[in-house]
Amino acid sequence: MAAYIDLIGIRKSYGASPVAAVDGVDLSIQKGEFVTLLGSSGCGKTTTLRCIAGFEMPDTGTIRFSGEDITYSQPSERDMRMVFQDFALFPNMTISENVAFGLRLKKMRGRYSEAQIRARVEEYLSLVQLADHGKKMPHQLSGGQKQRTALARALITDPAVVLFDEPLASLDANLRKAMQVEIKRLHRQFNKTFIYVTHDQEEAMAMSDRIVVMNKGRIVQSGSPEEVYSQPNSKFVANFIDRANILTGIVETVDGSTAKIRLASGATLSAPTNDATISGKTVGVMIRVDRVSLGEDGSDQRNILRGIVAERLFLGAKNEYVIELADGAGRISVHERTAGAQASIGDVVPLCVLPDDIRVLAA
Amino acid sequence: MRAFGNKPLVAGLAGAVLLFLYAPLLVMAFFSFNASQFTGLPFKGFTLSWYEKVLENETLMRSIGASVYVGIGTVILSMLIGLPAAIALDRYDFPGKAAFRRVVMLPIVLPGVITGVALLSFYITIGFRLSLNTIMLGQGTALTCIYVTEVFARLQQLGRSQEEAAYNLGASQIETFFKVTLPNLKSAIFGTMLIVFSISFDEIAVTYLLTGRENTLPMALWSILRREATPEINAVATLVIAFSIVLIVIGVVASRGKDLVAASKS
Amino acid sequence: MEDAATPVMTTASVAVAESTGISPGALKAKKIERARMLFWLLPPAAWFFVFMILPYCMLFYYSLGSVDYVVFKPGLSLANFVRVFTTEPYLSVMLKSAKIGIYTAILSSIIAYPLAFYLAFHASEAIKRYVYLLVIVPWWASYLVKAYAWKTILGTGGLINASLLGLGVIDHPLTLFLYNEFSVTLTLAYIFTPFAVLSIYAQLERVPTSLIEVALDQGATRMEIFRKIVLPISIPGIIAGGVITFSLGFGDFVAPALVGGADSIMISNIVINLLGAAYDWPMAAAIGLIIIALGLGLITLAHRLEHQFQVRF
Repeated sequence: MAAYIDLIGIRKSYGASPVAAVDGVDLSIQKGEFVTLLGSSGCGKTTTLRCIAGFEMPDTGTIRFSGEDITYSQPSERDMRMVFQDFALFPNMTISENVAFGLRLKKMRGRYSEAQIRARVEEYLSLVQLADHGKKMPHQLSGGQKQRTALARALITDPAVVLFDEPLASLDANLRKAMQVEIKRLHRQFNKTFIYVTHDQEEAMAMSDRIVVMNKGRIVQSGSPEEVYSQPNSKFVANFIDRANILTGIVETVDGSTAKIRLASGATLSAPTNDATISGKTVGVMIRVDRVSLGEDGSDQRNILRGIVAERLFLGAKNEYVIELADGAGRISVHERTAGAQASIGDVVPLCVLPDDIRVLAA
Repeated sequence: MRAFGNKPLVAGLAGAVLLFLYAPLLVMAFFSFNASQFTGLPFKGFTLSWYEKVLENETLMRSIGASVYVGIGTVILSMLIGLPAAIALDRYDFPGKAAFRRVVMLPIVLPGVITGVALLSFYITIGFRLSLNTIMLGQGTALTCIYVTEVFARLQQLGRSQEEAAYNLGASQIETFFKVTLPNLKSAIFGTMLIVFSISFDEIAVTYLLTGRENTLPMALWSILRREATPEINAVATLVIAFSIVLIVIGVVASRGKDLVAASKS
Repeated sequence: MEDAATPVMTTASVAVAESTGISPGALKAKKIERARMLFWLLPPAAWFFVFMILPYCMLFYYSLGSVDYVVFKPGLSLANFVRVFTTEPYLSVMLKSAKIGIYTAILSSIIAYPLAFYLAFHASEAIKRYVYLLVIVPWWASYLVKAYAWKTILGTGGLINASLLGLGVIDHPLTLFLYNEFSVTLTLAYIFTPFAVLSIYAQLERVPTSLIEVALDQGATRMEIFRKIVLPISIPGIIAGGVITFSLGFGDFVAPALVGGADSIMISNIVINLLGAAYDWPMAAAIGLIIIALGLGLITLAHRLEHQFQVRF
């Protein structure tokens, strides 16, 4: 069944470059969903968004929007509004005029009276907490206020879809947090489809219904924030989303849904798997930094590893211990919330991790 | 720390170069107020009589009218060609783009006489009679490059996102151009108009070859300036350069705005 | 409008779309895009074709012909080009013009350097704006008046003579300052110095501050920093400015007429004379073309050199 927005086999390269910016993207987005395209710069997320907006034409592939092929339609014909990284406010217009821009265009003529436009602009300005700023010019506003103006300008024409191209990238950290809450609130309030592009995994985790992780022009994983966090399907995703320890081991046996994996240090780990064919193969083992702890608690449910404390870093609310496993099996970082030192550099310490907190990845 | 080298020495040398750039003009202006018959010292007292004489010079005054006509025509013509050329260069990739840019910029690097000779042979072949209009066509073509550089710099600085935002909000091409692009280019266009007018006003190389029966200011000036310096000539020259400096200062500030220096780096 | 499209105007993307048979939607969208491009590109391209390319072609056509009793006779002869290099005064005037052009380029680069250096390294942001304005204004200001202005300094009634007379060093005004190659070169260098400043400055501005800080940190002397870091990086700017200065100086006819003497006529004065009094159109066209070829050749060469010397960060 067709989704609300469908991207089918989108491919796009620029100029003579042999490397495609977007290299075969298939993506379905449901109505009302908050989807984030996440990836580092050059992964193709912005190009994908610009294809959806109509600023770029894909070389091949189709984009459908409520059942209609919009791949090659003009940007102005799409019921989508974009919020740009550099705000893209019109410097020659006041904040009110900027917000009203979409309502005063020829294609909207007759839809709203001037009085209605004014009332609507007031309404949307107060929606983004800029009620008293309507008469100001863009250059008189702070970065956060500018982006809120852009939000109001995008929402006022009541589009079906709002696109965000790294809208918070040029704001400082505190403001970014506040704006995340605000955008999330607007999504709940308007229940529109939001497609959001960012390179900031924390931002993606905090806001999205679904995260689409991209790398080298392709989608590598798509799922809820919880899914991509706890069940990454590749080393790339595991590394990109938050902090992960990735070790390498050989699967000795697969017994039902449990794999026994031997590390280079000789230690074995039990980990859940639903793939019996990995037996005998080399695999990656992912353990999140906050899902492993120092010390052993006696329960035989847990996997125990041993290593030497190589480094201790103070991170504020927590400490990070870097543990060097024996025989070059690798290093593991451990985040401990307890204040004060639990171990000192050079100590040999045991580590324990629940089998369910281990994720087996293709090597 | 960026500054290295002997600060007073560098500043002193830089000052000396600026002095070199302005001293001849200042000396000329200074002598134009000299109550003596001759250019030069001693300074026999301040007078404006040379300026009065200039204003009484009918040939000169008449030529100003012709030059204003040519100047305005040149400003409009070069804008009509330069603005779309800058937009095309900024927005699109097309085969021969580099060649197109080179052709447009050619008048910057080739002596004006060449543009003049080429156009003259063209006019004669197709049977154009030389007039103020032929000067206008020549200057308009030669000065288009100034629009292209100034407007192109502004377009690059603006980027595309404002126009994209306008399309995205549903604006048509025409609406976007008039409501978003043009207002952003307004000051660059206005500034360049002043610069182009100022250059056209006393442009000699192209004018010299394309001039018809009616004399423009540069032609009138040409015959005057070739004579030995006199206070009256100094007065004419001072008036011309002062006018041209005022236009250019306003023009450059308007065109490049706050990023006066930055625009040159592109 | 479509029919008038010259080969320059067909876009590669359209060609690709047509050959690979992409969907009609894509084709239509590309057509719209192409129409928009042509809307902006076609008028100026057509204009430059008619008022620049055609005239240059015309010049070429004339240069191959000859004149018989003030009547132009078309031809296909290179005789005029041969004459330029074999008949006096053409060759010697050409060489002299080139000499003056080179001196002009060198002199204006030398004069410009300290100011460009000051702008790039010493001027505070606030001062920079004003100094930059002070440089760009004389560049665009009245060419004629700038060429004339030196007369008030070098002329018989000029500042130098008047001062020397006043001091009693001399009792007749000296004419040695004006109406010679020196005054022509000085005047041209004066006119083109602002351009050289802008050109060198643009290049110096690329020198990263950190590079100088590292050098200072390592104990390099100012002279070493200048010789080993700044000067090499500024070379493309000097070349770029120098070539254009040379080309414009070489082809100038104003300075020789205003401040030059009888023996300092330059090649452009000859061109003008050939068009007027001598009425030898083909010869003027041939010289014009040689000037163009020289200019374009040098600029191409300069591009290559610039590319070669350009330091990439």
